[in-house]
Amino acid sequence: MLELKDLYFSVTEKDGLNDNQKRDIIDGMSFVFETGKFYAITGPNGSGKTTLARLIMGINQVSGGEIHFNGQDITGLTITERAKAGIAYSFQQPARFKGITFRDLLSISTGIDDEAKLISLVRRVGICPLSFLDKAVDATLSGGEIKKIELATTIARNPKLAIYDEPDTGIDLWTIGPMVSLLKKEQMENHTTTIVVSHNKAFLEAADTVLIVNHGKFVYVGNLKDALPILADFSICNYKNCPEGEQDARCFR
Amino acid sequence: MLDALDKDLLKVVADLEDIPKGAYNIRKNGKLASRATSANINIETNAENTGIIVTIAPGTINESVHIPVILSEAGLNDVVYNTFIVGSGSDVTIIAGCGIHCGGSAPEGHEGIHEFRVGKGARVKYVEKHYATGPGAGKRTLNPTTKVFLEENAHVEMELTQIGGVDDADRLNEATLGAGSSILIMERVMTDGNQKASSKNEIILAGENSRSNMVSRSVIKGNSRQNFYATMTARAKCVGHIECDAIIMDNGTNETIPALRAEHPDAELSHEASIGKIAGDQLMKLMSLGLTYDEAVNRIIQGFLR
Repeated sequence: MLELKDLYFSVTEKDGLNDNQKRDIIDGMSFVFETGKFYAITGPNGSGKTTLARLIMGINQVSGGEIHFNGQDITGLTITERAKAGIAYSFQQPARFKGITFRDLLSISTGIDDEAKLISLVRRVGICPLSFLDKAVDATLSGGEIKKIELATTIARNPKLAIYDEPDTGIDLWTIGPMVSLLKKEQMENHTTTIVVSHNKAFLEAADTVLIVNHGKFVYVGNLKDALPILADFSICNYKNCPEGEQDARCFR
Repeated sequence: MLDALDKDLLKVVADLEDIPKGAYNIRKNGKLASRATSANINIETNAENTGIIVTIAPGTINESVHIPVILSEAGLNDVVYNTFIVGSGSDVTIIAGCGIHCGGSAPEGHEGIHEFRVGKGARVKYVEKHYATGPGAGKRTLNPTTKVFLEENAHVEMELTQIGGVDDADRLNEATLGAGSSILIMERVMTDGNQKASSKNEIILAGENSRSNMVSRSVIKGNSRQNFYATMTARAKCVGHIECDAIIMDNGTNETIPALRAEHPDAELSHEASIGKIAGDQLMKLMSLGLTYDEAVNRIIQGFLR
């Protein structure tokens, strides 16, 4: 349903010696995501996970390669056109507005402004209390509240493909379980192809397939069990020659 | 007496479909067009014949006064001085507004000076909309002034809106707050083309435990220019805040200067100001919900000016 064909995203940056040093954030990625499956993308910070998600939504334009969605080449489409084609995206750091409420975002998202229908939608999504409806989506919201709203507006689109970029950031521990169940329910009932970018084990466990990204490439595609040793390898000390027994804080990073 | 054009203007600036219920004073082309008083609200022409005096009896609750001004005569510059005396303990809404219809090449303008004396414990909501339209090339000027004096525990909420079509606006808002009183000023101005708008605000927190909040939202399109100046002076233990945001579109320009002056050690004053284009993350979010770029811009501006 979603096919990445030899995808590249490059930036030019200064590295002290050269002014125009080219760096590939996404370095030749190819993969086919299947309809109705749940994918978790993980990997170290700065490995290219968010950039990949943004390329799929059209927020950033690819430097090379193609993206196909349900047989259509969408590489040149705008964000709006991709949204209309059935792709929805939950931002890692959601936008904060002035004078726009959760109700407004849900109405824009669904085209519905009928009170009863909006309330039933909020109930279906579950993680936002009804009292959220008239909350302004502005700087006064906590990090967790805005992430819940972001997730709700994504689900409200009834997308064919839903991409969630670190949906659990700022979310309290008690909500992560229900959040995972909600995404699984959407996957099962509506056959939503789901891609979650996350470091959270709860999402990795929920996934049909785990993809590990490092240095802009997929370095692992498969089940969680076999991914764990690779993930453990990323999380352990990068200072190889730590002498045993030395209390070096760097070793425990 | 009121023609279709007048009614259109009244609808925009005062939300009036027809002659309002309760007290009102409609001024058309510098002259009184229609007036009504109520048991608690009196309206009379002042001694100098330069405007009206609206007197609201103490304890008047849930009543409103409409005082719209409409201009449709080329070459007219209407100056008016209105006084509002709001009795203690009352709770009223005052709806003012000026609509200009410019059909010719001669300039048209209105300068309205509104002075409010708000009695002890009274609550006033003041709504003012400014709007100009018409096919004529004549310059449309609106220079409003409001002077508000709040007695002990009085509360005033002002909604000042300039919707569109006004070429030149020079606004002055002054407020002096007594003990325990509070004022909330919400100003929204949108300019386009070669329009200019300037807003000067002088708020004096004179009484103990007085509170004020000034919010300004500007949208500056085309080659237009807006300037915003606000000074809050604290002369007692009080709380004051200024929030001014400007969104620049096209080639608009803006100068925003919030100023705080504490003349008392227990003053708590703060301000936040921002000038910039519409934030990219807001546009991307709305586009990811299916809006086009232009629809997203409109929706963001609409919310910003709400």
